[in-house]
Amino acid sequence: MTTSHSGSTRYRERVDSVSKDILRNVRFNQGFILWMGFLTAVLAVCLFAYTIQLRKGLGVTGLRDITSWGMYIANFVFFVATSLVGMLISSVLGLIGFKWVKPIARIAEIIAVAFASIAGLIIISDMGRPDRLPNVFIYGRVQSPILWDVTVVTTYFLVSLMLWFIPMIPDLAIAKTRLNGRPAFLVKAYELLSINWVGHKKQVKTLNEAGRILLILIVPLAFAIHTVTSWLFAVTPRAGWDSSIFGPYFISGAFVSGTSAVIIAMFFYRKSYKLEKYLTDFHFEKIGRVLALVSIVYIYFNINEFLVPGYKLKTLDEIHLKELLAGEYAPLFWGVQLLGLLIPVILLLFKQFRKPLPMVVIASFVLAASWLKRYIIVVPPQAHPFLPVQNVPVEWIVYTPTLIEIAISVAPLVLALMIITILSKLFPVLPIHELAEEETLAVDGHETDLAHIDETAVYNEEKKANNN
Amino acid sequence: MSEKKKKENPEDSKIDEILESSRRDFLKMVGIVGAASVAGGAAIYSGYRHEKAKSSGETIKVLTEDNRLVEIPKDQVKDYKPDLKVLQTRGRLGIKGKKWVMVIDLSKCRNARKCVAACQGAHHLRPYEYHINTLVMQESKNTPAYYMPKTCQHCDNPPCVSVCPVDATFKRQDGIVLIDNERCIGCRFCMAACPYSARMFHWQEPLDAEADKGKEYDVELNVPQKKGTISKCLFSADRVREETLPYCVSACPNGVFYFGDENENAVTNGTTKETVMLSELLEKNAGYRILDELGTKPRVYYLPPKNRIFDFKQGPATEYKETT
Amino acid sequence: MRSILLGIVTFLVIVPDLAGQEWIVPDDKKGKLSTFQFDENTKKSGEKIYSVNCISCHGTPGKGNFLKLVPPPGDPATDKIQLNRDGELFYKVINGRGQMPSFKNALSSDEIWHVISFVRSFNSSYKQLIMPVITSSAYPGAVIKMMLSYNSSDSTIVLEADAVKQNSSVAVTGAEVKLLVHRTFGHLQIDDIKTTDINGKVAFKVPANLPGDTLGNIQVSARFINEDTFGSVSKDTILTAALITLPVSLVAERAMWNNVRKAPVWVILTYSLGLLTALGFIGLVLMKIRDIFIIGESVLKDSEKINIT
Repeated sequence: MTTSHSGSTRYRERVDSVSKDILRNVRFNQGFILWMGFLTAVLAVCLFAYTIQLRKGLGVTGLRDITSWGMYIANFVFFVATSLVGMLISSVLGLIGFKWVKPIARIAEIIAVAFASIAGLIIISDMGRPDRLPNVFIYGRVQSPILWDVTVVTTYFLVSLMLWFIPMIPDLAIAKTRLNGRPAFLVKAYELLSINWVGHKKQVKTLNEAGRILLILIVPLAFAIHTVTSWLFAVTPRAGWDSSIFGPYFISGAFVSGTSAVIIAMFFYRKSYKLEKYLTDFHFEKIGRVLALVSIVYIYFNINEFLVPGYKLKTLDEIHLKELLAGEYAPLFWGVQLLGLLIPVILLLFKQFRKPLPMVVIASFVLAASWLKRYIIVVPPQAHPFLPVQNVPVEWIVYTPTLIEIAISVAPLVLALMIITILSKLFPVLPIHELAEEETLAVDGHETDLAHIDETAVYNEEKKANNN
Repeated sequence: MSEKKKKENPEDSKIDEILESSRRDFLKMVGIVGAASVAGGAAIYSGYRHEKAKSSGETIKVLTEDNRLVEIPKDQVKDYKPDLKVLQTRGRLGIKGKKWVMVIDLSKCRNARKCVAACQGAHHLRPYEYHINTLVMQESKNTPAYYMPKTCQHCDNPPCVSVCPVDATFKRQDGIVLIDNERCIGCRFCMAACPYSARMFHWQEPLDAEADKGKEYDVELNVPQKKGTISKCLFSADRVREETLPYCVSACPNGVFYFGDENENAVTNGTTKETVMLSELLEKNAGYRILDELGTKPRVYYLPPKNRIFDFKQGPATEYKETT
Repeated sequence: MRSILLGIVTFLVIVPDLAGQEWIVPDDKKGKLSTFQFDENTKKSGEKIYSVNCISCHGTPGKGNFLKLVPPPGDPATDKIQLNRDGELFYKVINGRGQMPSFKNALSSDEIWHVISFVRSFNSSYKQLIMPVITSSAYPGAVIKMMLSYNSSDSTIVLEADAVKQNSSVAVTGAEVKLLVHRTFGHLQIDDIKTTDINGKVAFKVPANLPGDTLGNIQVSARFINEDTFGSVSKDTILTAALITLPVSLVAERAMWNNVRKAPVWVILTYSLGLLTALGFIGLVLMKIRDIFIIGESVLKDSEKINIT
């Protein structure tokens, strides 16, 4: 009893100090308002571009009958891919038992929620008749990968949202009494969202169960979401898309883009939220290894994807590969493969590059390359259909994105940034409870101690203190 | 029974009487309708016989409710304009007992592009929007070039229909693959899936959007065309419903196209109007289907460009030219 | 098929000759006339036939929008066509020349006359001459009758032609006959053109793979080739002479491409089971969140009690 009590006191102290560091950023400061104002202005421009597209039709884009899927679809694939990192970090690495993912897991979930929720919107911007979106639910054909995609993206979004929210419940309970000077609605929201969390033993047990169910559920869901996205291409007979490894190829690529997005976010939070104490070099060192690992896996799939058709050189595969490796798309292709994959992997093998600053540079390259890679996957295979393209205006043959199209493609990024900003400004970006718990454990060294912490007592003491 | 009731209660019997009389009236009415329908049927039938006996009478073709096409004298029928529901229902069902098939004889095509023009006229398309396009084909450097009219292949395993999320493009019992632009959401998955590049998309307001405003949409003609939706070759579903050859087939001046019903094992040449046996035509001329190896099972057959009746003049055409 | 090809090939070779050459119609054919009066009905019917069969080359009459071929097809409203006599027009449509196809099998005599009726409607000075019903010149005064029957033992359709005059009847011998089967878009000729034998009979071999309807019925039609000699006689009938064809709907089977009600069972099962499983687990998690809420509520109530005491 004594040990557990001393444990609980130490836990309280830790909670106090950790929450002070983390809740410092839960506020609407000037920077936040300026940043959101900037994003809103950019979004307004994008939306204006979209109204032009709505009025005049998709003809305002560079898309035509030959290349009928372009930037929008590439963007969609990129967003779905990046959102997959939520599953990788919290689920795969968390379930294996890596303790260092704890402060990163919520950042990964924020990215997952933001990117998954926007992915659906991108598809709407690509539709010729967005007003007929309800048809998908009224007349949905169970055979169409689009229906599967709609289903799994929605489900994945829901589960990601829960995976972000559920581990945060104790934090909300901790934070609700520590939000002095914040708007009343926020305190009220914390009060509501903390759903009567008092840290009771039974509550802890139920929360852990719920978390565990979600962590397991999200693995098949994440695989499904990106495999199905790859099937949008792989179910067609086109050279460059007609590949049986498209599912794993996409998933391994998704881990690369998602991990790099998390690294950039980590770097940003560390600097601007002053969280150097929690997002340490050690964490960057670890996630750097993860990026190197997933990139190596992705390189492996790239080799498969290009070597096998390159060995056989079937007519259309040959045209496609030549276009990529030595033709029109060669600068893009080699830029992506070298600067966005091969060189980053080599650099990440050295310890001195697995430090925050070099890593954020590397991750930025990798993330930009990930977007371009999706573009290379989506666009070039359409330029060479089975039958020749003839008797059409020349601008129909070569796809060049228009300004309007680019503006509309920027909108999802802006929206995602807005969601990320709001989520990380309204709620703690790092798990207060888990960090405090971890440090307490580190000091006490007995896992069993923590299980006996009577958090109800802690809570009541706090309440008494507040009343006095 | 009713006698008994009468005795029991006068008011009940009154009600019974009213019921009885209304029943009688009803039966009478049914009788009249029945007689009328019999008479109507007889009239239609006699009209049909009459028409057969004397072909100079003005006739009209009528689709009966059981999806049969009958020909009757015009004065026997009232004009009936099918509404959207009828057009959609019959358009989605297709014509019972038919399996439309097209044969394209490459040895006769000399790129007159009359098929293209007729099709674009019928479906209100711009000169560079194609349901049918004539391509210059050359398999390899040393093999000869030839012209190939390319329509939708109306596959029996259509990859485009498989991927459609909303059943906007569909296959009918007579084999025709249609697109319902009242339902299409414009996702263009079908375009990505089609190996024949047979589909087109309305990237802008269609050619006759203004003029076609208010017209009832006929899924068998895909007119009015709609912005933001797919359009494609329809095997002239509206024409074959009237037992008339498709627009492209009858517009060809060179006898390239044959069209018919596989169930009848016969195809009719659009230019010469000569009807031949499908099996024999394919066998004697080594007919084949394009990209058959993809498992699409096309309903369009090609006869190889052997013993061509013209010299191949033009080099490969890659760009659209206003003058063609 | 091959003969048509050859025909067109020959035509190409002699193009320059044809262009300058008058299209000569044999004198005995020039005088042929329609047996019925042209009226609004025949004109309308002709217009329809014209719009399907002729418009692709000749264009709309009066518009001059015919194809630029060699020799030019010409606009039917102009003198080039109108100066022809009815019999000449009929001959040209029946036989064709060069790129103008023969409509022998495509159109019946009456239909061709309907087209001529339509074409003549563009000529205000045209006065129609009518010929009485063509009677046989070989069997003067007789009515020629054809009988068609199917002989299943050797799968032939047998035609018997008799010339009936008052009470006597003689077999029509040496007459060339063709047999056509009705198909959706035209008439399919069965076997070759054959000549009636001494008994006025002729047998046409029915191809083994000729489909009929669900009962094996086909609508056949026999015509004399030489109408001037044997009269404009034809016989239409329905014979059970072909394969029984039971049409199978092309959308009967379950398939990926079929509509949602005919989706493959495994797709429906995988999709719905997968979705239900995911939703089930999500529901379970929501229940657990509810549990947390309820536990918290009861704990808080207890603690309030403690605080009061």
